Amino acid sequence: MTTSLLEYFFINTFFVLLVSPLFMGLIKKVKAHMQGRRGPPLLQMYYQLLKLFKKETVVSLNSSFVTLIAPYINIIFMLAASLCVPLVFIPTANFGFGNVILFLYLMVMAKIFMAFGGLDAGSSFGGMGSSREMTISAIFEPVVIIVVSALAFVLKTFNIHEMFAATLVGPSLTNAALVLTGVALFIILITETSRVPVDNPETHLELTMVHEAMILESSGPNLALMELSHAIKNTLLMAMLINILIPWGLAVTLTPISWLIGMLAFLFKGIVLAVIMGVFESVTAKSRLFGLRTFFILAFSLAFVTIMFELLV
Amino acid sequence: MMNPTSILLIKVLFVFILGTAALIIMQKSLASLFSLYSVQSLLMAVVSLVLFKETGSYVLLSLAILTVITKVVIIPYMLNKVRKDSGIHRDSEFRYLTPVSAILVGIALIFVSYSSFYRVFQLSQDNLFFLGAVIGVSLALLGMLVIISRKKIVTKAVGYLMMENGVLLFGLFIAELPFIIELFIIVDLVIFILLAAVLSMGIDSTEEDLTRKLNNLTKWFKQ
Repeated sequence: MTTSLLEYFFINTFFVLLVSPLFMGLIKKVKAHMQGRRGPPLLQMYYQLLKLFKKETVVSLNSSFVTLIAPYINIIFMLAASLCVPLVFIPTANFGFGNVILFLYLMVMAKIFMAFGGLDAGSSFGGMGSSREMTISAIFEPVVIIVVSALAFVLKTFNIHEMFAATLVGPSLTNAALVLTGVALFIILITETSRVPVDNPETHLELTMVHEAMILESSGPNLALMELSHAIKNTLLMAMLINILIPWGLAVTLTPISWLIGMLAFLFKGIVLAVIMGVFESVTAKSRLFGLRTFFILAFSLAFVTIMFELLV
Repeated sequence: MMNPTSILLIKVLFVFILGTAALIIMQKSLASLFSLYSVQSLLMAVVSLVLFKETGSYVLLSLAILTVITKVVIIPYMLNKVRKDSGIHRDSEFRYLTPVSAILVGIALIFVSYSSFYRVFQLSQDNLFFLGAVIGVSLALLGMLVIISRKKIVTKAVGYLMMENGVLLFGLFIAELPFIIELFIIVDLVIFILLAAVLSMGIDSTEEDLTRKLNNLTKWFKQ
């Protein structure tokens, strides 16, 4: 029994859409608990998205058509990227998706359109946010490429589907090279989803916000799409880390039961990772912009040492 | 031949040892610096325990116990006591190298030790010992890097201590045991002297202060 692209799309992408807001809510909840607050309800982001989708879109008089289409293009790129990362099961054919470089480019394209949306209204906040996001991105992208190539070097493939298949059969948590890359992937996860040392997702203060400034101009369904795309990116990168380090439960036999097990396993591992992220965010301090390179270079050095480890053994 | 699980375990431990070394290069807070050092020493002790389990040599066991007692407990305790007494909690000054460039130079150093040992170990088939040698030597080099790039004496002392860990790792995998003990004593003496300097001169002092204080002694030799 082989799966069709449609089947894969439905299961994988809908699962991503379903769980993404949950993880975001959970991280917020964990952070609130660490600060001694009760925090928003766990399902707050679902309510918020529903509310935003019902509202009308308000755009600035100065904005052009870009503001209107940017969120849609953004979410389309993100959904396409979600096909590259199997969460529940690895399809027998990868349908041309799954190249890790393609995955990175799809994510960067989504980010670029988000930045266009921020720039378009011509407000100082949007421009500032886009400029900062692109600056950080330009510094960080080479590091991402190095980490990903280290991953490809260790697992001997550029295809994410094949990477996961390889980690599923081999020992992954005991493989020193993969543990190193796992730490680097965690740094990528933190940076790409605009979390604390790099950016503070809670703040709306002029001096510190990066990602939030970029989507400040959007409203209604546009804002909902932007936030959803951010949540999807979070889930995809989490899936990347989870399925490289602890791929247990990822379905290989194509039966509904194994899919269910895969979903539950991913949900459980995702919850654990989200708690770890929340705790990590709470115990680290926001770094200044020029101090960020120290954080990035750590991922770079880990990736480099990974490559060397692989050469050694 | 060693047990495959032990080999995997040792490799993962190597990863964490290198990770702590990278963090020691970058870390500014002294308290974290000392706890990183004690974590690194603990990892070292675990490596030596795993080797003991494989070879059954009691020297390795005693080495592990000695490491835990001195380097995980006593030395960090002493350093922390000094930190509390002096009220200095951060060493944010870097000389010649910023943390970023220090990490880049560190990568280069690891690569240099790799390529210099590569030829030697091409003859033998045992990868693990090659790995141990490379990581031991690069740890020693990274310790030197800490000594170069940090300004406060107490951070330099942590660099020396890291070098000593590197020597220990190198000894565990490559050298004959009496030779290690020899190196041990020498490096430990250096550390002892440094710690004595820290205790006597105060944690806040830099090397320049030390020279100034020593220069005062020259008047004893004048007529």
